Amino acid sequence: MNKLPLGLALDLRNVVPYKTGSWRTLLPVNIMQTPPCSNACPAGNDIRGFLRTLAEKKDYEAAWHVLTRTNPLPATCGRVCPHPCEEGCNRRDFDTAVAINTAERAVGDYGLEENLEHKKLIASRKERVAVIGSGPAGLSCAFHLAKRGFHVKIYEAYGEPGGMMRYGIPSYRLPNYILRQELDNVLKLGIELECNVKVGVNIPMDQLVQTYDAVFVGIGAQKGLSIDITGDDAKNVFTGVDFLREVNSGKYVDVGKDVVVIGGGNTAMDCARVAKRLGANVSVVYRRTRIEMPAITAEIDEAMEERVMFRYHTNPVKIITDDDKVVGILSVQMELKEPDASGRARPVPIPGSESVIPADTVILATGQAVDYDGIEVQKRDGKWVAANENLMTSIDGIFAGGDAVLGLETVSAAVGQGTRAASAIEDYIEGNVESRLARPPVIYSRDLNTYYYQKKKRFEKEALPIHMRLKHFKEIYPPFDLEAIIDEAERCFSCGLCFNCGNCFMYCPDNAVKISPKTGLYEFDLDFCKGCGLCAKECPCHYIQMSLER
Amino acid sequence: MMEQSKYLEGVEKKDLFAHGHRACGGCGQALAARLVHDAAGENTIACVATGCLEVFSSPYPDPAWRIPFLHSLFENPAAVASGVEAAYKALGKGPVNIIAQGGDGSTADIGFQCISGMFERGHNVLYVCYDNEAYMNTGVQRSSFTPYGARTTTTPTGNKTRKKNLPMIAADHGIPYVATATVDDFRDVQKKVKKALAIEGPKYIHILAPCPLGWGHPGELTVEVCRLAKDTGLFPVFEIVNGKVTNVRRIPVKLPVEEYLKVQGRFKHLFKKGVPTEEVAVIQEIANQNIERFNL
Amino acid sequence: MLKQIEGSHAVARVVSECRPNVISAYPITPQTHIVEELATIVGNGELEAEFVNVESEFSAASVVLGASAAGARAYTATTSQGLLLMSEVIYCIAGMRLPIVLTCANRAISAPLSIWNDQQDSMAVRDAGWIQLHAEDNQEAADLHIQAFKIAEKTFLPTMVCMDGFILTHAFEPVDIPEQKEVDDFLPPFKPKHIVDPRWPRGIGLFADPRFYMETRYILHRALEKSEETIKEVSSEFAKVFGRDSGGFIKTYKLKEADVAIVSMGSVVGTIKDMIDQLEEEGKKVGLLQICCYRPFPRHEVHKALEDKMNIVVLEKCISLGRGGILASDVRWSFPRAEKKDRNISSFVAGLGGRNISVDDLRYMVEKVEKEPAEFEFLGLKKELIAERDM
Repeated sequence: MNKLPLGLALDLRNVVPYKTGSWRTLLPVNIMQTPPCSNACPAGNDIRGFLRTLAEKKDYEAAWHVLTRTNPLPATCGRVCPHPCEEGCNRRDFDTAVAINTAERAVGDYGLEENLEHKKLIASRKERVAVIGSGPAGLSCAFHLAKRGFHVKIYEAYGEPGGMMRYGIPSYRLPNYILRQELDNVLKLGIELECNVKVGVNIPMDQLVQTYDAVFVGIGAQKGLSIDITGDDAKNVFTGVDFLREVNSGKYVDVGKDVVVIGGGNTAMDCARVAKRLGANVSVVYRRTRIEMPAITAEIDEAMEERVMFRYHTNPVKIITDDDKVVGILSVQMELKEPDASGRARPVPIPGSESVIPADTVILATGQAVDYDGIEVQKRDGKWVAANENLMTSIDGIFAGGDAVLGLETVSAAVGQGTRAASAIEDYIEGNVESRLARPPVIYSRDLNTYYYQKKKRFEKEALPIHMRLKHFKEIYPPFDLEAIIDEAERCFSCGLCFNCGNCFMYCPDNAVKISPKTGLYEFDLDFCKGCGLCAKECPCHYIQMSLER
Repeated sequence: MMEQSKYLEGVEKKDLFAHGHRACGGCGQALAARLVHDAAGENTIACVATGCLEVFSSPYPDPAWRIPFLHSLFENPAAVASGVEAAYKALGKGPVNIIAQGGDGSTADIGFQCISGMFERGHNVLYVCYDNEAYMNTGVQRSSFTPYGARTTTTPTGNKTRKKNLPMIAADHGIPYVATATVDDFRDVQKKVKKALAIEGPKYIHILAPCPLGWGHPGELTVEVCRLAKDTGLFPVFEIVNGKVTNVRRIPVKLPVEEYLKVQGRFKHLFKKGVPTEEVAVIQEIANQNIERFNL
Repeated sequence: MLKQIEGSHAVARVVSECRPNVISAYPITPQTHIVEELATIVGNGELEAEFVNVESEFSAASVVLGASAAGARAYTATTSQGLLLMSEVIYCIAGMRLPIVLTCANRAISAPLSIWNDQQDSMAVRDAGWIQLHAEDNQEAADLHIQAFKIAEKTFLPTMVCMDGFILTHAFEPVDIPEQKEVDDFLPPFKPKHIVDPRWPRGIGLFADPRFYMETRYILHRALEKSEETIKEVSSEFAKVFGRDSGGFIKTYKLKEADVAIVSMGSVVGTIKDMIDQLEEEGKKVGLLQICCYRPFPRHEVHKALEDKMNIVVLEKCISLGRGGILASDVRWSFPRAEKKDRNISSFVAGLGGRNISVDDLRYMVEKVEKEPAEFEFLGLKKELIAERDM
């Protein structure tokens, strides 16, 4: 023991601190949690990751790489995704959701402008995988497999790749050059693409099964379904899918003065707005009301802004033709009764309410189906491809995903399925047991300490004025100010992950939060932490939680 | 190394009041002491009163101080600091920051005379009061900073008097700078310490520093309780520069005093089966008076 | 230079020549003339020092504590109630080993209020860990201050110079005030060892748990005991330089041949010496042992000086109420228990609250102990004022 100093005046430079960590009964731990945005994202994007990268590093390139870890099509999804992520955003309970979708587009566009390239994780391996269909599911699957070194070849039935993104989505929502660039960027990973080859017609499925180690079927739901109605064989009657494909292929379609679109889904909205841009007066005829419409809310809103007329409670009875040409639709008014099997109110005709809507063109956007021509797999509900939870079909080595499996879903959902299928295919080829990781629990706004967040106005993208939109097929949302998007990204709460706010570091009364020299992140100094819980309480994003001392 | 967090710009974290002290978990005073001395920096002498802070931070041979520390008695840090300042002047040493400090008992009660003397003589010393509203070191007895209604071990049925208003008394000595602050706002505490130390003459900073043990709230609520004290109007945060009240912290959303009272055991008896007693109305009136007086 | 000067002013002059950096005091009779004069000296620029006018003796002691801990040579003066008010700090200063010099202009303690002299005040803090030096006259009072700074700063023990209030502080006597240069040569600048300085951060006034407290007390006790050497050394050095025999541990007067030995301290020894001379003419052999340093107590010196004295009488201006003479206890304790001599030690208390101690009083005392030893007695008590019912 040291001799007592004169007057007990101690030199403070060599004090060995007394360790107070032994007092602790509770222990602070860092728990990364799943934010509700990512939880809601069908593509499984690391939304918090790319937003915080923007907010903290102001680095669009890094943000692009975060986004494209999961999704090769951020510019596309940033335009067409109905963004369920924003529905989940915890910020909604505080002020308004972060404009995630807009930020995603900004990052995606930045990547295209700067010609950012995807990086391969594994240079090359010998196994080969065939992907049927170059829609979002097929592309996503091909992308993830190619990144992991697989040889991938995509067979595309149409003349250009992209599936529904190319032929189903009008270019005022998704300009063709954006899609093309994003596709090319994916193909640069060494993916082979052969167009105008319809598997099952031009090349037998068996040949693929024999040639490749695995096959992914991402053929979508390309067949438009018409309803059983008299006169649907007339000229100027289209299915929604066919109509959009014609227009998106660059063909001129003469729709005449009056167009009636039947249906309330996204395809119906696209058809209506395309017809509007072709110069017609457009009515959407729907049996129920707006509430029951399956289309994305924003699409309905935009269609309404563009003066598309909506006729609710209206059911077509018969297409009236003259000389094999449509002249109108006989329709009947409906009233809603108790819900049917789908949970939606059941429409029942009102007797004597028949009327005629004049029409030069009728578009039946009333459903789509898988085109199984030459492909034989087990089906679900007689309609969709049956696949197990690893997205394998009834046939060993054949996987499927996207609309063909899900029914009509979004681009993001298809991307997500492609991602999952790629993992499953890798596991299949390598003979691994399923390697899907359990996700950490989702964090909700009640767990946050929102005192540390400031109310801030959400970035709202601005559309072109309506009269400008209807003149052409140009995108209705012009590019965004990159600085403004960084500001918007700063609104992200970073739910469930440290964003370096420093509260724990500053508030710990025992100075038991240190900056780790190894990782540069905050860490607990358990020699001194008394387990008071102040850090956890004042952690804005619930990344710190208290657990029982072991 | 990690870059300094952009959220901590202008904030000082030097651990000059270091780990290894024996304060209770969640101690507001330990937090306040570190904020104050980290803001003041290495060129500082701390003159500390007897009390919780001194006892938990200065046991031989492992005190938590990394800057010069001088403790003599309960009631005299202001006078001791005056002596240190006089010595520095006489010896032509310095400049140096001298911070005298103590709890509310030391400041408002037993050391009141020494502090008044220090203010009046004009020593270039910053006095910091860590206000935890009772004698915590000796086991939670009433001080003249104990608020109305609070239960302490010497006011078992609730304190019947109102809190002494030392910031105004300090200001009326004609000293150039007086401020109040709370430990939840570390930027504010440090800004005020730095501002005070840049001013020549005696300065007084009054920091609300919750005591989980004495107030009867979990240690994790130390910061939250401060916010409630401010947002109910019970603890006004302001500066008095050359006699003028300024930089008053406005309350964003005013809260009823119950919000503050009900999270603390010391006010539990003011609610009978959850229903506030008439004392709560008195406390609300105190808050209202503060709100009106300082335009909170 | 020899000057006809008031005791307080002489002390102030000499203290000023010791160049303290910080002076802090609170006025109290009969100390006031000391600090007034020092204020004047500082005010007119003769001494460069901070003079801190505080609001109480408690703060005065605290200010000099802080100043000393910051490396300054610090000085204060007080008496009576002021010293009691300081007492908490007085203990602290010693425990922290701060070499502060304090003048105690000895005065009685309330109640009842008395502004006049006795030595109860400094006795009240005798156990605090300070060196206590007692002056016989104003020359010695002045000289002791020069020595006190040197002793304190060599031993890191605070030193109190006691001088009887009014009797010395307000008395005009010729005093030789040394030249500044002489004092400078004798008293080197203060070299502090443990101070608060951001360049070498130290914790001063740390608290000690039961593992450490006792050792700090032992060290302080031993340091006081060992300061004997320094006190003697400084006294003899002072005698060499200034040619005056001031301070030290004890002094004796006609003690060698004495049949009755009187032990006392402070200004009363002047009167005692007069009486001894008178009695000598009458053929009686009475001697004096003067305690110059009360703490540390010169136990061995006292023992040696009084070894062959069988009739000892201790006269003091203070009392341990309910016990008796305080100095008497110290003197009794100075003789080893093993010594089985038939020695009488009588104890007299006198002069409390400024009561005059006359030669006649002293003669009465000597005559009394010549007949039989007195266990304990008040000298000069007016019995007619005492109501039996109140005792």
